[in-house]
Amino acid sequence: MADPAAQPPFAVNDRVVYPNLGVCRVTGVDTLVIAGQQAVFVTLKRETDGSVVRVPQNKLATTGVRRLAGKSEVAEVYRFLASESDKATLDWKQRARTNTERMALGGLLGLAEVVKGLQVLSELRPLPTKERELYDTARVLLVGELAASLGCTACDAEDTVDVALSPPGRERPRRTVEEFQRSAGNEDALGDDLLGMEGDLDGLPTDEPPPEDEEEAPAAPEKPAARGKAKSAAPVRRPVLSDDEVTMTMARAVALPPEPKKRGRPPGKKNAAAAAPSEPKKRGRPPGKKSGAAEKKAAAPAKKPAAKKAKPKGGKA
Amino acid sequence: MIRVAALDEFDPQFLKGLCKHLYTAFGVGAELTDPVRTPSGMAEPFDAEKLLEAVPAVRAFQDDKVLYLTRARLKDRVLGTGTVPTHGHCRYGRDRALVTTFGVKDLEAGLPVVSRHALHAVGHLWDLYHCLDPRCAMYPPWTPSFARGEPTFCTFCREKSERKIALAKS
Repeated sequence: MADPAAQPPFAVNDRVVYPNLGVCRVTGVDTLVIAGQQAVFVTLKRETDGSVVRVPQNKLATTGVRRLAGKSEVAEVYRFLASESDKATLDWKQRARTNTERMALGGLLGLAEVVKGLQVLSELRPLPTKERELYDTARVLLVGELAASLGCTACDAEDTVDVALSPPGRERPRRTVEEFQRSAGNEDALGDDLLGMEGDLDGLPTDEPPPEDEEEAPAAPEKPAARGKAKSAAPVRRPVLSDDEVTMTMARAVALPPEPKKRGRPPGKKNAAAAAPSEPKKRGRPPGKKSGAAEKKAAAPAKKPAAKKAKPKGGKA
Repeated sequence: MIRVAALDEFDPQFLKGLCKHLYTAFGVGAELTDPVRTPSGMAEPFDAEKLLEAVPAVRAFQDDKVLYLTRARLKDRVLGTGTVPTHGHCRYGRDRALVTTFGVKDLEAGLPVVSRHALHAVGHLWDLYHCLDPRCAMYPPWTPSFARGEPTFCTFCREKSERKIALAKS
């Protein structure tokens, strides 16, 4: 695309494209005073619905206003639509960002990329609502600009796009996830291995000090009690030794072979009570004194039935 | 309102069925108008665009859509990317569309196909564009599956047409 800044200024009746709005016609170039400042404004009228927008002339390039696409750009778009292009990314966030950028830049090829990318994605799975709306907007803008550039009807312009995407007599293909993943893999051949070292990073020099070798500690001779302590307390601070002590310890470690490692639990203090054989456990409730009320309660159920039976008979008699 | 104008003679039952399908799909009234004659001086196969320009206007309100129905063959269109068969033509967002029944031998049995083409053409009049869903009437009409579908819209196209119709003046 030509550099928008290098374009000659727009004149009245020129047809231009405003990003995300579509084809507009320049209806006037006026100098206005706004907030005490004089500025030249270009008035654009949208062709589809007649809405008007005024853009400062010095901001036309940054806004993305450009002239209609030429025949060479249209031919390039047709080639792109008919080609077996790479698939859209399956990462929705990245896809949304890319498509929004393409729409905001406003180029004809960008619109075609959005349309084709989403159409190919729809051959894998139905588009979500937002992307379906984006697809529709991109298609409307693309068809509108193609019709304006070629001077044909919108019907012919849209059919041209669709013939390029899916030729007559052929059904749209069904895509698989593997196709998309393969395509994404081809895009960046290195993938995660950006250095191209195939994961062989062992030979790399490192500035970090080697980690404290904890596996060597058990190999050194140690008392069983110390081992038990080390298990319970997590960070154990080593005592600072003098140079002589270090030398002595090292010499002992070299001269004496290490004690054989004992297996099993370390011997601990056994409880004296636990050591004595316990009495066999008695089943049932522990024997206790019964109170007088409890005794009466226990005796009551035996007497009650007799009293109940006696009442109704006695009343009638 | 959708007004159906026949350029040739059709069975009234067929036209009634077509109006019913249009009414069901768009939710606006669809009725027959007086028959219209094909402009003289044009030879078959017709150029759809030229025929649509030349066909006489029908008495209608503003924002009414007029669907012209013909039995004649329409010329295939040669486009920048290939040649496409023409089943109809329309002016996007405007007022008139054209649909042919050429190629449909039994109109009674082929009513769904003709209705689907009619829905497609009238849908363009309400600013609907081609759809991605093969079950939708706005799917590209030259695909093999188009003739097998029902004369209905997908949810997206249905809602979009409803919004457009709600904005219409009449």
